[in-house]
Amino acid sequence: MNCEEYRQAIAADPSFDGGAGHLSECAACQAYRNDMLELERTISRALTLDVPELNLPELPDIDSSNVVALPKRRLSPPVWMAMAATVVLAAFVGFRMMGAGTEYDSLGEELLAHIDHEPYGLRVSDEAVSDAQLERVVPAQVARLDHSAGLITYAQSCVVNGREVPHLVIQGERGPVTILLMPEEKVSGPESVTGESVKGVILPVGNGSIAIFGEREEALERIERKVLDSVTWST
Amino acid sequence: MQSTNTAILRRQRFDQYVGVFHQDMYRYAAWLSRDKAIAEDVVQEALLRAWKSLDALREDASAKQWLLTIVRRENARYFERKRLETVDIDNLTASQAALLAVEEDRELDDMRQAIYELDDEYREPLVLQVLMGYSTNEIAEQMGLKQGAVLTRLHRARAKLKDKVTQQ
Repeated sequence: MNCEEYRQAIAADPSFDGGAGHLSECAACQAYRNDMLELERTISRALTLDVPELNLPELPDIDSSNVVALPKRRLSPPVWMAMAATVVLAAFVGFRMMGAGTEYDSLGEELLAHIDHEPYGLRVSDEAVSDAQLERVVPAQVARLDHSAGLITYAQSCVVNGREVPHLVIQGERGPVTILLMPEEKVSGPESVTGESVKGVILPVGNGSIAIFGEREEALERIERKVLDSVTWST
Repeated sequence: MQSTNTAILRRQRFDQYVGVFHQDMYRYAAWLSRDKAIAEDVVQEALLRAWKSLDALREDASAKQWLLTIVRRENARYFERKRLETVDIDNLTASQAALLAVEEDRELDDMRQAIYELDDEYREPLVLQVLMGYSTNEIAEQMGLKQGAVLTRLHRARAKLKDKVTQQ
């Protein structure tokens, strides 16, 4: 790569990271690159206009009966993937029980990892899980749950810190919201947890806790109140 | 009950997109039209169109590109409808001038003026790359160009800005 080629590339895209060999030997191109990066910072600032407050236009009613189904946030995994996931999960639980599983520094960290490894729960959906499935996942001897927290679109039994806990998903304003009911996981106080793209809180409830995670833009406080009102431990 | 839930979820989905991408939509419209008032009109029209055709969007990951494409089309429609002429730099209306509101930072002022004066063919790919984070491939797709043409335009856009800012 010569000077002209390098300068064309960096001027077309200042994040260009090729031509390292040429750059290391050419002081003029190093200076040109620094100028370009400085220019880029100014361009970026200049383009970032103040945005006025949004006034939403009046939105006409849409005939929902014509809407077949909402697109999924993520693609549903094919059957073979679900089977593979089951095998992996079983192996994971087995390893944990043997003390060979991944160790986490905190409950929050484990919950974030758990959500990350169960992405098929995080889909935009208008399909509620069946009552039978919900009863299987949240048996009466564990907790009583009414439906006031929101439409429950996912319910599975999962293992967190070596205990089986109900993993639920409801639909929030900004996307799916994950709820983990942990009747035996005592925490001393509310604990905020922040992941790469999600945020959440672990709330003490009786002798256990409830974790709630949503998109970073989600207003979780409102959901927290609803969830706390909708769940009663049986133990 | 099912249709009510569907309607609620549809609205939630729309509000989610608006919340996340409204600023991008406005800034893109503002730099396309070079006029704050037109940008607000274009965004309103774009949101209305997005609302009506929301069910055509299959993947959330495509939402930003989908919305910006609608903004681009609405901007073109707006200028077609109004038969607006190219902005005359020496005779700006109040809302055009508002885009160039004087900043305390002189360097920023000069750069904004220089970007404003760039031809559309150079300004738009620059906005998509710098502000929207598009790759040159995505810009090519959005503007219906070959990637090589996009690279050339971006290179020239920065060269022009560098020259103008240096002269001022």
